[in-house]
Amino acid sequence: MPIGPFGIDPLIWAPLRLVIAVALALFLVLNGALLQIYLERKIQAIIQDRVGPYHVGPFGLLQTFADALKLISKEDVRAAATDGWFFVAAPALVFCPMLASWVVLPFAQDIVGANLNIGLLYLTTLGSMTVLGIVIAGWASNNKYALVGGLRSAGQLISYEIPQILALVSVVLVVGSLSMIDITRSQAGPFVNVLVLPFSFLIYFIAALAETNRTPFDLPEAESELVAGWLTEYSGMRWGTMLALSEYGNVTVVCAIIATLWFGGWQGPGVDAIPLLGVLWFTLKVYGFILVMMWIRATLPRLRIDQLMAFCWKGLIPAALLNIVVVATLALAFPTTKVPIAIASWVLVVAFIAGIPFVQRRRLQTLRARARAAAAPAVRAAS
Amino acid sequence: MTLDVIEPAVFAILSIGVIGGGVAVVMLSRITAAALLMALTFLSMAGMFVLLGAETIAAFQVLIYVGAITVLILYGVMFTKFSDQPRALFFQRQTPLAAVFVAAVAVPVVIVGSISFAGGPARPGGGDLPALATSVFTDFAFPFEIASVLLLAAMVGAIVLTKRDDPEEAAARRRR
Repeated sequence: MPIGPFGIDPLIWAPLRLVIAVALALFLVLNGALLQIYLERKIQAIIQDRVGPYHVGPFGLLQTFADALKLISKEDVRAAATDGWFFVAAPALVFCPMLASWVVLPFAQDIVGANLNIGLLYLTTLGSMTVLGIVIAGWASNNKYALVGGLRSAGQLISYEIPQILALVSVVLVVGSLSMIDITRSQAGPFVNVLVLPFSFLIYFIAALAETNRTPFDLPEAESELVAGWLTEYSGMRWGTMLALSEYGNVTVVCAIIATLWFGGWQGPGVDAIPLLGVLWFTLKVYGFILVMMWIRATLPRLRIDQLMAFCWKGLIPAALLNIVVVATLALAFPTTKVPIAIASWVLVVAFIAGIPFVQRRRLQTLRARARAAAAPAVRAAS
Repeated sequence: MTLDVIEPAVFAILSIGVIGGGVAVVMLSRITAAALLMALTFLSMAGMFVLLGAETIAAFQVLIYVGAITVLILYGVMFTKFSDQPRALFFQRQTPLAAVFVAAVAVPVVIVGSISFAGGPARPGGGDLPALATSVFTDFAFPFEIASVLLLAAMVGAIVLTKRDDPEEAAARRRR
């Protein structure tokens, strides 16, 4: 009989390993959501010069536990006109792809659920499945706010998936692998990918904000227009699964992708001596990006839906395509060195940021001209 | 118990998913349920690809068919008239006739397949990413490019067909 790890028969070890991985992922998702909601409240409170939660536990640390208990013990309210099976299935359809994507996140050298050689493709695939649940949730609620919210969300997610995947392509072109482990390994030392490919990082970060429904792209849940978007009819733990667990889980997954692809994943000082130190570096990097997302949420106002779509299709997608062309050409022309790619990427970043005011000014000019043209006949009629 | 037992069992479950889902898509009169079951069919197909060792194709199957096409169909359904009452479409009254036609095709396929099909074991490496990419960009470069030109033409056509003039601008032009 062959003996696998820990002297267990491989046939038993394989399912056992799966169960352990799923249990660990669930544990991390649940606790991560609690911690992130607390962080979000505290950070927004600090930025807005408030105190934030402070009654329950030391520094209000147990506030989210109390909230979770409240959500679990709430009555399961369902409007009579909702669509039975779909209404129940939608939270699961949103939650399951998010949970499944934790399988390929590399926490440390050997701490990873599965080393898929298509890890990155797997992650984007699961990311694209979330939309299905959101559309179904909006539709099954039998509520106009929920439907409009669901449709907006679907449009937004489908649109921003494109620059997101295009940004990933340039990393794959430089590294030459889709496996999360290989991508991490390729960034040993201080020269992580963000120094080589800052432009694709910028595009991915913007698209990721939209993909996880974070401000300034949290249109689907625009309270002032749509009550709570596709979540309007949900309450209790269904709402908790959808919003708290899935949204914060997705934020964590996206930040883990950013940390792995552009910031060296679990690589850090002392990892070669103590491999478990990788978990610490990985977690620190991931939470660093989560904090940046929360900072952005407390700082920026929300976009309008047409601005959001126009920015994606007219701004981000052409930029991402240009990035791919540049990186692919330079990678073919200089196969041995990454310096030309780095120079070109930094030039693109500077051009992108410096170009925004010019584009904005031209847009304002056309808008004013249109307004003047619309007002002119009215003036003529009055005179 | 070895993997040899697990594989046929998984295959059986996936087959039920593909065939059952496909039949349900055709038979159901609730269009949203049909769309979701179509997603199930695509997912089961992706499972089949994984079983054959072609993980890349499975990932693309889910990415494009579940993530994009099913969502697009649902999107379309929601923009049409908002009633999901089961209603018998005209072709759904022909179920017995359709069953006869399906049987006429399926039974010979099953018989011929079970007698003469002696497929060897699946060649490993067919779904491997480098091999797949190399064949797409060398042996199949021309069909690949033709397909992309076709898609581009379809996209431009769709934009031309649905593009409407801004009503304000059109009114302004008429006044001029």
